[in-house]
Amino acid sequence: MHELATWTLEFCRWCNESFFGHTIRDSAWLFPFIEVFHLLALGLLGGILVMLNLSLLGFRFGHATTGELARELRPWMLGCILIMLLSGFLLFSTEAVKLYGNWAFQLKMIFLLLALLYTATLHRRVLEAPQAGAALRALTAGVSLLLWLGVGLGGRAIGYVTTAASAVAGS
Amino acid sequence: MILDSTFVWLHDTSFGTLIRESTWAEPIIETIHVLTLTVFLGFVILLDLRLLDLTLRRTPVSTVFRQLNPWLFGAFAIMLVTGLSLFAGDPVLFYGTIFFKLKMIMLLAAALNVVVFNLTLGRRLVQWDGRPVTPAGAKVTGILSLVLWISVVACGRGIAYVLPPP
Repeated sequence: MHELATWTLEFCRWCNESFFGHTIRDSAWLFPFIEVFHLLALGLLGGILVMLNLSLLGFRFGHATTGELARELRPWMLGCILIMLLSGFLLFSTEAVKLYGNWAFQLKMIFLLLALLYTATLHRRVLEAPQAGAALRALTAGVSLLLWLGVGLGGRAIGYVTTAASAVAGS
Repeated sequence: MILDSTFVWLHDTSFGTLIRESTWAEPIIETIHVLTLTVFLGFVILLDLRLLDLTLRRTPVSTVFRQLNPWLFGAFAIMLVTGLSLFAGDPVLFYGTIFFKLKMIMLLAAALNVVVFNLTLGRRLVQWDGRPVTPAGAKVTGILSLVLWISVVACGRGIAYVLPPP
């Protein structure tokens, strides 16, 4: 566990000193510019997830079954996740060491990991299983919404959490 | 000017004061504002992509509209209430930024886009609903809508960026 922490902090230091970290920090408009992409992808990703989960909960979208809807929206969903991860990494690199000690950021990363794993495995399986019962479908949708809500709330909290991590950064 | 006196009045209402002085009001309302964006902006983008024939092509446009509209209107109402609440905290300060004015102009333009669509192509929806390809006008509406709503989001971010942190 200790090694993982050391390695993570090392990685954060590297991000901080990387080309991205420097360039974005030194620019007046790059940070908000990247943030807009992060927000737009959030909008569409959120919309797709809400729609798929509503479909699991029994709301009908035309004649499409939940599986068809999921297949049709998947490229957009994956595109959004990719944009969010890329833009998120760029934003992170500007203050990686500071974020390392921010509990809201840590919480967001844990939720993100869980949400991604869940979306790629169980959520996907149930979306594509026409024989899944109503209770299973509802449970699957609920867990998905909660996990992604955790990511969103963690993200919102980052800016409001002030930490003593800058001290760590200096050491 | 009437606008100025309205802003001063709003600023001095107990509601405006509450937003400004409470520790929790602003972060909570802003969080609701941003999270509702996932439903509102997400569904708007999905509708636009449908108008552009880029997704959900097997579902008729009218069906996509009918299914998404109640959620869109509900989410927009939440965006409006939370947005106005945040604005009430310091109307003069917000209005003083170029991004706030731009955002309002883009919002009006986006609304105009919806009205124009409903008065023209939207009226004749039954004629082109079942066709495999949407008409050029619908695609123009979709692109305009995407550009305008993306501008609204970008200006919103701009406001937070030029204002001093609370």
